[in-house]
Amino acid sequence: MKYVIGIDLGTTNSALAYTEFKPNADRFDKPDVRLMEIPQLVNPGEVRDESLLPSSLYIPGASDFPAGSLALPWNPEPEFVTGRLAQKRGVENAGRLVVSAKSWLSHSGVDRTAPILPWTAPEGVRKVSPVDASAEYLKHLRQAWDAKMPDAPFTEQQVLVTVPASFDAVARELTLEAAQRAGFCDVALLEEPQAAFYAWIERHQDWRERVKLGDLILVVDIGGGTTDFTLIAVTEQAGELALERMAVGEHILLGGDNMDLALARMVADQLAQKGTRIDSFQLHALWQNCRIAKEKLLAPGAKSKEQPVTILGKGTGLVGGTIKAAVTRDDVDRVLGEGFFPRVTSSDLPQRQRRFGLQEIGLPYAADAAVTKHLARFLRQQASSTEHERVRRGASGLAAPTHVLFNGGVLHARLIRDRLIEVLNAWLGEEGFSPVQPLAGEDLMHAVSRGAAYYGLALQGKGVRIRGGVPRTYYVGIESAMPAVPGIPAPLKALTVAPFGMEEGTAVTIPGREFGLIVGEPAEFRFFSSTVRKNDAPGALIEDLGDDLQELSPIEVNLTSADGTGTVPVSFETVVTETGVLQLWCVARDGRRWKLEFNVRERVAQ
Amino acid sequence: MGRIWLAISSFFLILFRGALPDDALAPLGLVRRAAPKAQTTTAAPTAARVSDGALQILSILQRDSRLVDFIMEDVTGYSDEQVGAAVRGLHDQARESLSRYVKLDPVIDGVEGTFTKPVVSDPAAVKFIGNVPAGKPSGGLLRHKGWRAGKIDLPALNPKQDAAIIAPAEIEIE
Repeated sequence: MKYVIGIDLGTTNSALAYTEFKPNADRFDKPDVRLMEIPQLVNPGEVRDESLLPSSLYIPGASDFPAGSLALPWNPEPEFVTGRLAQKRGVENAGRLVVSAKSWLSHSGVDRTAPILPWTAPEGVRKVSPVDASAEYLKHLRQAWDAKMPDAPFTEQQVLVTVPASFDAVARELTLEAAQRAGFCDVALLEEPQAAFYAWIERHQDWRERVKLGDLILVVDIGGGTTDFTLIAVTEQAGELALERMAVGEHILLGGDNMDLALARMVADQLAQKGTRIDSFQLHALWQNCRIAKEKLLAPGAKSKEQPVTILGKGTGLVGGTIKAAVTRDDVDRVLGEGFFPRVTSSDLPQRQRRFGLQEIGLPYAADAAVTKHLARFLRQQASSTEHERVRRGASGLAAPTHVLFNGGVLHARLIRDRLIEVLNAWLGEEGFSPVQPLAGEDLMHAVSRGAAYYGLALQGKGVRIRGGVPRTYYVGIESAMPAVPGIPAPLKALTVAPFGMEEGTAVTIPGREFGLIVGEPAEFRFFSSTVRKNDAPGALIEDLGDDLQELSPIEVNLTSADGTGTVPVSFETVVTETGVLQLWCVARDGRRWKLEFNVRERVAQ
Repeated sequence: MGRIWLAISSFFLILFRGALPDDALAPLGLVRRAAPKAQTTTAAPTAARVSDGALQILSILQRDSRLVDFIMEDVTGYSDEQVGAAVRGLHDQARESLSRYVKLDPVIDGVEGTFTKPVVSDPAAVKFIGNVPAGKPSGGLLRHKGWRAGKIDLPALNPKQDAAIIAPAEIEIE
């Protein structure tokens, strides 16, 4: 039996879906995509199946758990705790808990292969790298699969791991490295908003009747920790409707957890005004209770206008120490509606991150909490690309989607979906377009893993495939040859090495430029990317770097050559592998090749 | 053995005895599997005491809902509002926790207040109250449906752990 396994490696939760690969199945047959329940420790000594694996890793110390209580069906003494128990115990002892490893994986300000997590661990606690933590979650999923499906070893199945569309080449490669470290064999990457759209196609086999040529679908994916936007155009290929991913947004660290925390802080402020102060442990309990209260207030058909939230007394005195507060529907509307989803115009862009001289190192959370402003910027950014006329645009250049697909737990709330549609429609109205049509998604928590499993079938030619390629343009920085001026660095130019939309399984040689590399010494290049500049051809030189280019980790190559020392003239070649990973090579005139590696060990100078 | 005889005799043997005799297995190419060993009560390294399961339930309810804290607290001095505020969350969690580990079914699945004829006559399962006649009553008004533990699904006890600890003491390091 051969399966395709889709893994949603999420910031806060991970999930696994699978489908049987039938070589002779009719391509119009509805595939049977199933979710796998993931056995995990939920309490010390208690393993239970749950549909999600919380992406939490706990590094147990000697006094944390009774001996033998961490045994898993496949490992009597695991080194780390992953999943529900890690999440629970982490509330009580945050110094040993690793969370949001995925956000760290995409953070170029730190060395992502160095043991840096838990970020706030006290002295003496063993630390792991963001790659290690991701590998632990993937390893847990692999072992869970092998325990559940003994007749179909995990390593013999085809596996798809999803990444945010906004992940750059470095974060993608690190995700793949984590998968390899977790013992994965046949693995490829897939972008999450695309996976969500595949899940919609899987549910609607008649999708060709629901969209038409020229339609533009906006995928809004708001998870626990991140927000991700993608535009997919309905195009035509060989007389049939086809799908093409046109644009992806930048990485925004803003999600449902921020919203629940905002509610908790509001309640804490109300309590403080009445003279009740709560500590950080109680704030955490309040955070969870506010999430539950929010979900109850926003549930379909909810009638109550107010939900009590209580923080039980800490000691054995439960009733006496109980702190009582309430979250009202008005509070939720105000905090979410005005704080996170305000009605803004399409030219209302988010505040840029302010740079302080001394900045605390940590995750680069979005400076502006308004999701609608981030959406405005995303749609506005599409104005500068002229080549992709398949993107429907208004008079002002604003990309104008015809449909919208929601994904992520936050968008369970009708309030938020309605507000996003209302804001989008206002923008579209100004540009003279009719309102967007929401595509009915279901199962917002599991769509990504389901879609990934479906995509595995598409790869085998058993379903429709979204064409996309690399969602960014990549550049290598080159110092201008100019007379040196003391104190002023030579101006930097950017050479285009990978054009936007370069497809998987293709290679391109950068014409017209050679570099002299010294044998035996590492050469380092600065490396940039842009989600906005889409028309730069390979070899094009950008004189003014501007705001459109983001600097990534530097890339380096160390030429070793049998014939001693000297300078070797090389040109660049770019390869996008079938697994979706970008590789840069230096190619000498005689055909010798050296791969350029990302240097994630050094901090990028800002 | 003829094929028809084998087919017919196997049919009736399975129907009436629930198993094939050894001499009918060989012509069918079957081998009897060793019967699963009866569960030995001496398997646990330290013998679990009878009360351990009860303590485990208490410990689970305390862990998930803090039920023991609530029952052991003197609530006479608190207002109904204060007690209510604490109990609401506790109740949700205790209920979720209990229903996860023990499946509770009614003993008689009927409508309370209607005439019911019980099928069982075990006084532990059905209790007659009110003007009970001298002989065995045939039925009456169902006043309480009763509770029966259906499936019990408790995690295995850690033999190294002291079951008497219902909740650990907590020490916070500031």
